[in-house]
Amino acid sequence: MSEEIFAGLKQAIIDGDEDVVEELSQQVIEESINPVDAVQVGLIKGIEVVGELWKAGEVFLPDVMMSAEAMKVGLGLLEPEIAKLGMSEGDSKGKIVLGTVEGDIHDIGKNITGAMFTAAGYKVFDIGTDIKAEDFVLKAQEVGADIIGASALLTTTMSAQKQIIDYLKEKNLRDQFKVFIGGGPTSQAYADEIGADGWAESADEAVTLADRILAK
Amino acid sequence: MLPKYNVLTQEQVEIIHNESIKILEEIGMDFEYEPAIEIFKAQGLKVEGNRVYFTREFIEGKVKLAPSEFTLHARNPEHNLVCGGDNIIYMPGYGAPFIQLADGSRRKSTMEDYDNIVKLAGASKNLHMTGGTVAEPQDIPDEIRHLKMIYSSIKNSDKCFMGSAEGRERAQDSVEMAALLFGGKDVIKEKPVLISLINSLTPLKFDERMLGALMAYAEAGQAVVVASLVMAGSTGPAALVGTLALQNAEVLAGISLAQSINPGTPVVYGSTSALSDMRNGSLSIGSPECALFISASAQIARFYGIPSRSGGGLNDAKIVDAQAGYESMMTLMAASVTGINFVLHTAGILQYFMAISYEKFMMDDEMAGMLLHYMKGFNFDEDGLAYEAIASVGPGGHFLTQKHTRRNHKKEFRTPQLSDRSAYEAWSREGLDTNQRAHKQWQEVLAKYVPPVLDESIDQKLLEFIAKRS
Ligand code: B12
Repeated sequence: MSEEIFAGLKQAIIDGDEDVVEELSQQVIEESINPVDAVQVGLIKGIEVVGELWKAGEVFLPDVMMSAEAMKVGLGLLEPEIAKLGMSEGDSKGKIVLGTVEGDIHDIGKNITGAMFTAAGYKVFDIGTDIKAEDFVLKAQEVGADIIGASALLTTTMSAQKQIIDYLKEKNLRDQFKVFIGGGPTSQAYADEIGADGWAESADEAVTLADRILAK
Repeated sequence: MLPKYNVLTQEQVEIIHNESIKILEEIGMDFEYEPAIEIFKAQGLKVEGNRVYFTREFIEGKVKLAPSEFTLHARNPEHNLVCGGDNIIYMPGYGAPFIQLADGSRRKSTMEDYDNIVKLAGASKNLHMTGGTVAEPQDIPDEIRHLKMIYSSIKNSDKCFMGSAEGRERAQDSVEMAALLFGGKDVIKEKPVLISLINSLTPLKFDERMLGALMAYAEAGQAVVVASLVMAGSTGPAALVGTLALQNAEVLAGISLAQSINPGTPVVYGSTSALSDMRNGSLSIGSPECALFISASAQIARFYGIPSRSGGGLNDAKIVDAQAGYESMMTLMAASVTGINFVLHTAGILQYFMAISYEKFMMDDEMAGMLLHYMKGFNFDEDGLAYEAIASVGPGGHFLTQKHTRRNHKKEFRTPQLSDRSAYEAWSREGLDTNQRAHKQWQEVLAKYVPPVLDESIDQKLLEFIAKRS
């Protein structure tokens, strides 16, 4: 029975169908099925398939984004249950706090990056646009993030990416988080200059980079 | 002059208009700026928090107040521009943070690039004004960039230029500097000299910076382009008509604000709508869909009797290659033949707005020249019909020794500036492709260019103003 539900969850994630994910997740809770397995064997297996299909060029961005959304719905329901039962969720690949820096409202690139991280099995905390350095850090501390990801699309707001790093140094927190930066006008050279841990030109490269850096 | 080409029926334009009204009445729009909210409240509109609910009467009434054309005044009156009607205004690209070099590498743009591009636009026969933020001068601190840019635009050319849209304060600085140049704020209030780019924050929002600038310009009687950049598929629906309705709603709302502040404020209906590539999300401006948005926008603006802005030499290419050429020609031609009046980004753009290239600039300048010639259309007078010449040559023979030919070809044919029409062997001696020829050409143009003299006392005042504000 639970096998059937896990298979259903996996398929619903592949289909990007929030409603079915919600329904089946409720069923997991109501019928006291192991929620950790529901996440690991259902949701995560589904999102892995989507990630691979996207890499192979077989599905498009909206497919990935909707699957990522459905994933969030499922996790939103199952995680509290896991916590309540005092179980461990198993390994998520990492936690990333993602936002667009202060003074900047461009958010599509950040949203795509978030979805790609979700699809790759990371837990993403998207804190929105026009976000101050200290709010990035507060959120990262709150959720115990591995990575702070900051997006900037304007040459005039790139300095706010540096401010995050400066703020971390100032608070003696620099070694607690990896800082990734991205967005149109940024570059590897700029990332090196401000001492960021990672830069990527595109969302999927960002994920590959995170895999590499966190594996170290 | 060729007639302007329509891509929609009258009925289809009306459907889009009605969809936009429905969006504005039922969904409403967010204005994240208290002074704008106050204005809408005073106009009797329903407001909840930042959300403004418009009515058909309000929108249609306000849009009627916008002039169907206006004159933008230049330092040299010969370069005054009429924006609207059948007129077209070409200018450089806007806002790019990078310079793409002829050798294929890319670097940050600087103040020197800004100066150079203003000069190239000043020298061009095909570009009517010098534009704004023609290169983002990354070597100048952000707080004073706008001052340096305006100064360069004034000093290096006597054509019309654009003001800063980065918030109320920088808009006011732009107005102050223009007033110094033209003899006072009263003078420019009567005769607009600046035009600026106000963008909505799609979907259905305007932010504080943009609204602050819009209000400052409207109060000072300066022109504004109210533009919406919907990325169909990401910030807008994956539907062309729905995207147009969304864009239209935003632009109408912005225009209604400008007209509420200062009835009769010169405004331009702006669209940069394009699409998000559905594989990687990148913006695509060199696409047929973008050309359709451009074309429809010209027609929708015509429906409202407001000048339009869209198009340009738009493309997604990374270097000055064939893709850069064929995409740019499609979008620039679409803008030109459908009747766009104000063509921001005509020259220089590469990489979906991320880079400017000098070589691309020269190539687009050539395309602009070709299109200006194309749009002139046909000449039906006696010389155009050329019956006498046909009769005097008769059957057989040729026209190369006809007086008519010698005289008339200069009127009817355009001589290319950059394109190569030489024979193969002649070409192959140097064997330069377009990119390489353009590379030589812009350096020659720049070397020869002498900026028009600026009155010394005005120059002094401008420099003092910059010093005071720095
Ligand atoms: C759409 C757009 C807008 C929309 C934004 C809508 C929205 N909801 O995001 C609107 C119209 C509101 C807008 C406003 C403005 N914009 Co704008 N905008 C763009 C545009 C055309 C596309 C941006 C985009 O979404 N690209 C697609 C996404 C997918 O790409 P991306 O963001 O680069 O993201 C990818 C990677 O960079 C990476 N990535 C992104 N974030 C992160 C984060 C991390 C951690 C990592 C690892 C990777 C990563 O992954 C993504 C997916 O592969 C760009 C030009 C361009 N082609 O980029 C100009 C552009 C960025 N804007 C520009 C400007 C000037 C402005 C305005 C000031 C313009 C004005 N006068 O109105 C305002 C500023 C508003 C503000 N305060 O921020 C300039 C910037 C120039 C400069 N000086 O830096 C550009 C380059 C255009 C131009 N030539 O003028 N803009």
